[in-house]
Formats: sequence, structure tokens, C-alpha cells
Amino acid sequence: MRTSGWTLGLLALFMAACGGDQPQQNTLQADPTADSTQAARVRKTKNIFHNIPSPMETAALLKKAGAEYDKDILNDPNNRTKYTSASKQALNLGIYGADLSYASVFNNTQESMLFTAAAQSLAKQLNVSNAFGQETVDRMEKNRNDRDSLLNIISETYWSVDAYLKENGRDNVSALMIAGGWVEGLYIATQVCQNHDTPELRQRIAEQQMPLGQLLELLSTYSSDDPAVSGVRLDLEAIAKLFAAAPAAAASTVSTDNGVTVIGGGAPAPTVSDDQLKALTGKTNDIRNGYIN
Amino acid sequence: MKHLRTLIALSALVVLQTGAMAQCRAFAKHNCIPNLLPYKFNETFNAAQLANGEEAEVDLTFYSGQEYRLMVCAQSILGNVNWKLTDATGQTLFESKAEDPKDHFDFKVSNTQQLKVFIDVPAKAGGGNEMLHVGCVGILVGFKE
Repeated sequence: MRTSGWTLGLLALFMAACGGDQPQQNTLQADPTADSTQAARVRKTKNIFHNIPSPMETAALLKKAGAEYDKDILNDPNNRTKYTSASKQALNLGIYGADLSYASVFNNTQESMLFTAAAQSLAKQLNVSNAFGQETVDRMEKNRNDRDSLLNIISETYWSVDAYLKENGRDNVSALMIAGGWVEGLYIATQVCQNHDTPELRQRIAEQQMPLGQLLELLSTYSSDDPAVSGVRLDLEAIAKLFAAAPAAAASTVSTDNGVTVIGGGAPAPTVSDDQLKALTGKTNDIRNGYIN
Repeated sequence: MKHLRTLIALSALVVLQTGAMAQCRAFAKHNCIPNLLPYKFNETFNAAQLANGEEAEVDLTFYSGQEYRLMVCAQSILGNVNWKLTDATGQTLFESKAEDPKDHFDFKVSNTQQLKVFIDVPAKAGGGNEMLHVGCVGILVGFKE
């Protein structure tokens, strides 16, 4: 009898492990529309993902907006030895990842390799060498003159680290890495905008309000039991307050342009005023400096 | 003894979960990401082990000036899945039904927008007494630089 109870227990654990009631990826919430009758009939569980645009996409958007490369604004790769706590290592893994994407998108191979070494060192300290080990660095070194290959390896590595952390139940570390990368992306955009202030760049900065909302939702799933995540969430809430209120949702339209489906409509393109830009630049700089020092 | 069993059970849980998610990562890497070409993968890992009857949703930000490929990739054990893309008002912009499945949708947006992807893994016909099938479902986005 005891053996059968033990077997049933293991079976239940196995079922849970195979995608049942355990959090998957970032968070898992019960579907509020599923009533108890439905629940008894089929297990109706809704998995909510929180998607934050990657540093690579943000860097590509900055380049398209006419931004230029400025290595002096990036985090010094030698700072990596300063980060001894896991939370600082995770935040700065994201920051170096964003700097690496920025340098690589703008085809600055020499700096890319320095940021790769810094990020890999932090990945090692965070025990994610399985996803970002020496072989990745070697592959990057081998492809350093092939920009497309280099960008593909960086994308694959960022994804692998994120996935590896989640696979191992370290979603909070992943969340900090993503937050660090997002803050660095906004920091780079606002710094570049100081010398290269264009409507396109302001628009890209204003649009960061959308992923910021997602990032805050992601962090809110951990913040009550993780002081580091809680602190970062407060930082990001302070940034969120500096954006204008989001325009009301408007219905989209679907059409075709030269064979490509175009989703039109929606809210008009956002922007930031001079005062907002100044406040965002200052606040982001302060928060980012707190992370890298 | 009781503590030992609990410890072993918890260890088994961790191993099984890790194994399942690692399998999901491998599935996405080998079966989904290559099909994003010629679009560049946006690096974000949205994949989970789902069972028949489960749903998933994700909000995605799409930027003006970029062309995107949105892909939903599911392991065959689940059968075809239903998925759709909606705007902020809930209006459906694209839909793939299990009976006429499409694994990707290529598009661009005229204004930067946050759109929502819903995935519904259909319940198996014949009631709830069948064996539960669990498989990996990935939601991937590729963009053109």
C-alpha cells in the first residue's frame, strides 16, 4: 500500500512536470473564463508569456533611425570583476549583451569581442557556461569578420542563455538579465539622442513604453520574494512614469502592399517632448549607473 | 525515511522539468528557428510544454519600418493547433485553424503596435479519459534588419 502511494506520488509529480500546474517559462495564470465544469472536463490552463524585444532588435532599430556608434557610452568590459552578487552579474550580463549587440550591429568587431569576453565571464560566474561557454567565444572569434554570422551567433547565444536559465528554474535571473538589457538599450538610445536628436530616434525612445509595460508585468511575477527583482521593478516604474499616457487603443486594418501584408491603423506614432526626453535621459542614466557600479 | 522520499520525489520533479524544457529548447532550435529564414530570429524564447486543451498567449511589440515573420511551431503529438493574432481592441488580424493550419504569417505594421497571439491546443475528441498528450509549442518572431 505504501509502495503504491509512493508510485502514485511519483506519477503525479511526473504529470505535473510534463506541463501541468507548474509555472512554464515566465508565469502561468489560471484562465478566468474557465469554469469549474470546464476544468473538470479538460484542464484549461492559460500560459501567459511576457515578451521583451531583444537587444539585437533594439540596436537594429537605432541604426535604422540614423543613430551612430559611440563606444564611450558603453559599460567598460573591465568592470566585470566588480560584479560579485548574482543580481549584479545577471543585470550586467544583460547590459554587456546589449552593448555587444550595439557594437556588432554597427560592425565594430574589436569591441564586440571585448563585450563577448565580459559577458562570458559573467555567464560563467552565473553557472550558465553550458549555454555560453568558451566554444561560443571561439565560434565568434572565427566569424569575427562575417557580420551576419556574428549576429546569428549572438542571437543564438542570448536565446540559449535565456532558455537555459528558464529550464533550470532560474527565471528571476533571466528576468534581471532581460531588464539589464532593456535599460542599457534605453540608455544607449537616450545618450545617442543627445548628439543626434531626430524625430525617428525620439519615436523609438517613446515606443519603449510598450515593452516596458511587458517587462514590469514580468518582474511583478517575482518581485514579492526577490529583493533584487523588487528593486529593479521600482527603478523601472520610475522610468514608466516619465512616459506620456499611452494613447487609446484603436482598431487596426489589414491590407497588402507589393505582396506584403500591412497591418495599419492602431494608435498614432508616439513621441517624447523635450522635457520628457531630458527626464528620461537623466533617470535612465542614474539607474544604469547604479547597475554598472 | 519520509524526508528522503520527499527529497527523491522533488529531485525527480526537477530532473523531469529540466529535461522537458531542454527538449523544448532543442525542438525550437532544430524545428522552428531554421524556418524563420530569411528573417532574423529576435532571440526571445517563448516556448512551453502544453497539453491538449491548454491555451497560451503572448503580447508582442512590432515596430514600424520592419518586416516580421510570426511563427507558431508545435510538436506533432499535439496535432494541429489553432492560433490567431489580434490587435489591442481584440480584432482578429490573422487566424490559423487546426483544420487548415499555417505555421507562419509575414507582415509589417505601419505604426508600432502591441499585438497579441493566442494559441489553443485543441482537446482530444472523446472526452477526458484519454491519455494526456504533452508537447512543445513555440511562438517565434523573426525580423528583417
